[in-house]
Amino acid sequence: MSPNVTLPDASTPLPMAKDLSELFVPSMRGQLKSAFKSVMGNPTLAMINMAGGVPHPSTFPIMQLRATVRSPSSPSAPLNRESTLELAKASRSQSTESLDELLQYGDGCGIDSYCAFLRRYTQRVHRPRYADWGVIASCGNTDAIGKAVSLFCEPGDSILVDRWTFPGALSSLVSAKVLPAPVPMDGEGMIPEALDNICQTWSGSAPPRAVYLVPTGQNPTGTTMSLVRRKAIYAVAQKRNLAIIEDDPYYFLQLPPVPSPSISRRGAERSDQAQHLVPSLLSLDVDGRVIRLDSFSKILAPNLRCGWITAPTYILDKIQILNESTILQPSGLSQGLISKLLNDTWGFDGWEAHLRELRAVYTLRRNLFIQAVDKHLAGLVEYTVPTAGMFLWMKVNLGSAAADPTAMPRLLGSMKKCGVMMAPDMPFSSTGPSASLEPATDGTSERYLRAAFALVDIDMFEPALKRLAQAITSVSGARSETSCSPVTSPDVVRSDTAHLDVNNSTF
Amino acid sequence: MPVKPHSKDLSSLFTEATKRRRSSPLKPLLKYMQADPTLVSLGAGLPHPDTFPFISVTATVAEAGKSSVDATARHVDVSIAARAPTAVTEGLERFLQYGNGRGVASYAGFAQEHTERVHSPLYDDWDVVVSAGNTDAFVKALMLFCQSGDTLIVDEWTYPAIIETVGPMNIGLAPVQMDDEGIVPAALDSLCLNWSADAPRPRVAYMIPTAQNPTGATMSMQRKQAIYEVAKKHDLVIIEDDPYYYLQFGEYRPVGETADPEDRYSDLPGVTALIPSLLSMDTDGRVIRLDSFSKILAPGLRCGWITAPRYMTDKIQFHNETSVQQPAGLSQAIVSKLINEHWGHEGWERHLVQIQRDYAMRRDRFVELCQKYLKGKVEFTVPSAGMFLWFRVLLSEEMQGREGVMQEVFESMIANHVLLVPGHLFSPLGATPEVLSKPFVRAAFSYASIDDFETAITRLAKALEPFTG
Repeated sequence: MSPNVTLPDASTPLPMAKDLSELFVPSMRGQLKSAFKSVMGNPTLAMINMAGGVPHPSTFPIMQLRATVRSPSSPSAPLNRESTLELAKASRSQSTESLDELLQYGDGCGIDSYCAFLRRYTQRVHRPRYADWGVIASCGNTDAIGKAVSLFCEPGDSILVDRWTFPGALSSLVSAKVLPAPVPMDGEGMIPEALDNICQTWSGSAPPRAVYLVPTGQNPTGTTMSLVRRKAIYAVAQKRNLAIIEDDPYYFLQLPPVPSPSISRRGAERSDQAQHLVPSLLSLDVDGRVIRLDSFSKILAPNLRCGWITAPTYILDKIQILNESTILQPSGLSQGLISKLLNDTWGFDGWEAHLRELRAVYTLRRNLFIQAVDKHLAGLVEYTVPTAGMFLWMKVNLGSAAADPTAMPRLLGSMKKCGVMMAPDMPFSSTGPSASLEPATDGTSERYLRAAFALVDIDMFEPALKRLAQAITSVSGARSETSCSPVTSPDVVRSDTAHLDVNNSTF
Repeated sequence: MPVKPHSKDLSSLFTEATKRRRSSPLKPLLKYMQADPTLVSLGAGLPHPDTFPFISVTATVAEAGKSSVDATARHVDVSIAARAPTAVTEGLERFLQYGNGRGVASYAGFAQEHTERVHSPLYDDWDVVVSAGNTDAFVKALMLFCQSGDTLIVDEWTYPAIIETVGPMNIGLAPVQMDDEGIVPAALDSLCLNWSADAPRPRVAYMIPTAQNPTGATMSMQRKQAIYEVAKKHDLVIIEDDPYYYLQFGEYRPVGETADPEDRYSDLPGVTALIPSLLSMDTDGRVIRLDSFSKILAPGLRCGWITAPRYMTDKIQFHNETSVQQPAGLSQAIVSKLINEHWGHEGWERHLVQIQRDYAMRRDRFVELCQKYLKGKVEFTVPSAGMFLWFRVLLSEEMQGREGVMQEVFESMIANHVLLVPGHLFSPLGATPEVLSKPFVRAAFSYASIDDFETAITRLAKALEPFTG
């Protein structure tokens, strides 16, 4: 079944998406339909199907799937409670397909009930402004980025990106021989005038046809674009006829402003606070030039390997073809469980309550982290307060060592000695060689560290930042201490990393 | 115990993109973290497992060796709970957290042990890396060595996803003649010897040695050895795509020959009497083997694994990390827990025998009916594995050479409410007049109910009647 299409409301007819096929690479133009599918079509019920080389569901060994989940509190149930979900082998469970269907080959679009929820939810949150949009399942945003980029970029092409960006995207570009064209940023993210200027003055062979950005809780800078900023970016994209790849895994982790300093440890965060979310680029998209990538990684769990892509249906058709010759579609178990949870167990109300609880957790962490930074790193770092996500991007004041290219490696060594680690700026740089510890090549002597405040135990915030202060001053010479005291055993790390693969590769 | 040789270094054949693939840029920092357990890391951008709302997941499964629709089968509850690892499998939060392109340890560990048990690779630096199924595994294996302008060697009839993948990548296909066992070694040799100097010589050959899609052909051990010799001679890499490997069920014996139905299925190969794989005879480390759970557990799990020399699996790991990451944690969790803790290797083998029995019964019934109703209308080699049967339609004299006849045959099948797949969809050469004139159709006996086989085949007979006489 083709990507879920939303029909326009009869009272407010919406335009169709503009045809941006001229932006596609040559191999993606034209009617790309599987030759197999166009000949075989869909078997009718009267047909005895000796065609599908697919196993019979009687060979699938799972007879039932049960999951226990922690459900968010609600007005009628003030404490978190456990809910049980069940999926049956051969029969549907309310909205969700049977296990036999979930475990069978799919068509590259995703399970119907999964996509149906996400289509309804997308309509509710973003209210797309053109008629022929749809959603398709993805295996997470890293895979979705690769597929979206491949529509618009061939080897040797360039794509516009934030000056500091997600290393997974940069690695994907490197292996596809697509060049990142970095665009300067400020405290809100990509600067529209700079984006316009780069397009204006482009002297390379093929001008970029797409821009990739993370507008909310950006990785690594933690910046979030205001509505004004998003409108300005969109206007440039229209002017320069760019496709926009809106990578938005932290969208639902938007946080209220930091409260006044006198906040108690288990502060006043209330999970029932109404949260205004800055509108997405999708919600501004009158042309159908935004390909929006959503993921369950930060809002349910990363290794479900599930997300969704929202775009005009003619673009989703291309992605379906790409899916068919690679992943096919995400795990049927992940999709089935998510579908059951969101459609039946929680519904919109429960889902939004869950997101509010997540936001409360991230808000508390963000607030306490900022407090600790202000307390221990005053004068040593500068930062913009993140209003979404999990990252704090700190410009390090290296004092007299600022111009020294060995300052960052020395700082990292000093941090290790003092017993703290954070991500240095180099892997996030779209201007220099990624996957290296060499400095960025844009000549700037500004150096940054990215702190992630989601995982480490809150009790370790202050010890960690005290150690960072020691490490920075030992390199910059800003204070009288020139070395850091070795870490002593009472500072036992209680970070919840026991479950991590020590070779974790994710950013 | 004799020391195994190291793999031959074929990395000079890597594409530029493969050479550039490397591990996470944050990896150099990991050495700091591992060295010092008191070090606090705020480096990794991971969500906290307390935010994962999943407390436990339980799959109810039939006891090993019994079908899930067998009412007499006992049930096994395969449970994975958060923060409750066992000696063998991780806690649920571990399966649900980010990891790396190698997958979760207990799942990858099973793949490693099972590969050792079944194939006992002959070189010392072999390794496994997880995949999200064989289609994705194929693309990753292909992209190690093939880029735009290169050519891939394939069977003259092959799996359509291959054809549809390589087109947009500007990778050409060089089909090699087949017989009823698969690729003909002399034809492969000849292709390589006589390759014109215009295009780069193909260095990778893709094949499905067991129950090939679409022809159903299965290579004997001798055939595989001959193919491997040709690959050595021309220094080729072989992509051994083997999703039907465990669906071997041996020769067809007509119903009358054995009185006792139990006897018919008493000597199924399990894992101990399978035809040896190309991997098992690979002394050089030139075989990249693709294994999948799709036909032996379920396609929707989207998981499998790839076996190759370590320097190749490392590259595939890095490629995973810029795409799918790893198979879904729930799939890995259930597969790992089920096989590692409940069924064990022994139960897993009983399960595979049950699957073989299932497919053997289907093959037997199907072939019996074909011999009854389709005599003189079609010709075919009886498959000894898998799910496909490749019919050559015996067109009557007046129908031979008639333009568009196979399209008419297809339409006649539709009109008679039976669906098989026209052969031209499996040709790397596309729908040329020559390919369109070749009178092949593929039947799959895996999906339709066995009770419908007779109806299907009588309808097929009726559909073919005007064309075969």
